Amino acid sequence: MALWFWRGLRKGVVTTRYPAVTDPWARGLPTPPVFDPKRLTVAIADQAVAACPSQALAREGTLLLLDLGACSACGRCLAVAGPAARPSGLFELAATSRGHLVKSIQIGGPAEGGI
Amino acid sequence: MRKSGSSSIGAGLRRRPSVTTEEDEAFARLGEARAVFGRSLHVRTIDTGSCAVCESEIRLLLAPHYDLHRLGLFFTPAPRHADLLMVTGPAVRAMDVALGKTYAAMPEPKVVIAVGACPLGGIYPEDELVHGRLEKVIPVDVFVPGCPPSPLALLQGLLVAVGRLREKVTGFSFSEDFGVLDPPGRIRKGPDR
Repeated sequence: MALWFWRGLRKGVVTTRYPAVTDPWARGLPTPPVFDPKRLTVAIADQAVAACPSQALAREGTLLLLDLGACSACGRCLAVAGPAARPSGLFELAATSRGHLVKSIQIGGPAEGGI
Repeated sequence: MRKSGSSSIGAGLRRRPSVTTEEDEAFARLGEARAVFGRSLHVRTIDTGSCAVCESEIRLLLAPHYDLHRLGLFFTPAPRHADLLMVTGPAVRAMDVALGKTYAAMPEPKVVIAVGACPLGGIYPEDELVHGRLEKVIPVDVFVPGCPPSPLALLQGLLVAVGRLREKVTGFSFSEDFGVLDPPGRIRKGPDR
């Protein structure tokens, strides 16, 4: 039986705190991508934008806009971007403003050509 | 620092007396809800055209593994008993009346959580069938992304909604440097968990 239950019985505490550390299995959850600005090029960014099924990615000049609210963590951009992207492992993304969920990533790779 | 912040809003706010950014303002606003609800919050869920996977994840919050009740959160079948409304789905127009009635029936103060990518505008664009974004129908306090959001993400959203945790997403840039701020999988401690 869970430890918090015995602790509650012993101390008479009805409610407990939020867990300090997530469970290990949570690392396997599908999560939005994180991009490496040094490896990211305009060409890779455009491929990732084209691969995204939910329009979570958009490119504005040398900025790649990632809308976490629209991202369904399908992983298609990871397949396209290769080493320029990897799963972030972050899934606790609750935000008090919709704008907090839109992230802009600077494209810092070479202007033309891939890796 | 603790003495200067002799606010009656909540213990969590006393550690951060100066309200500076938009995020702090939101935390202060939601902290007022926390002072009212304490550790007994009743949640009503409404489905506005979701594919039912979000409902499946919400239902899992009651499983022994997550056990919502230990945090003082409960589901209620009636909006009149609810403090918090969890809305899933892309806000289909056919649910406008039901959603409006549910929102109106909830007593003040009320908090609304948009659950999943659909009410955040991720999956369906606005057309004659759906609003696309829940914000166009009712005011939304907390956005929980994910398709679907895992029960742990929902749990964090619920605690952010009542000011018991601070939101973490503003600390991440989703560029490669995010690992410096917080290693993946770890949860940063809130002001009063």
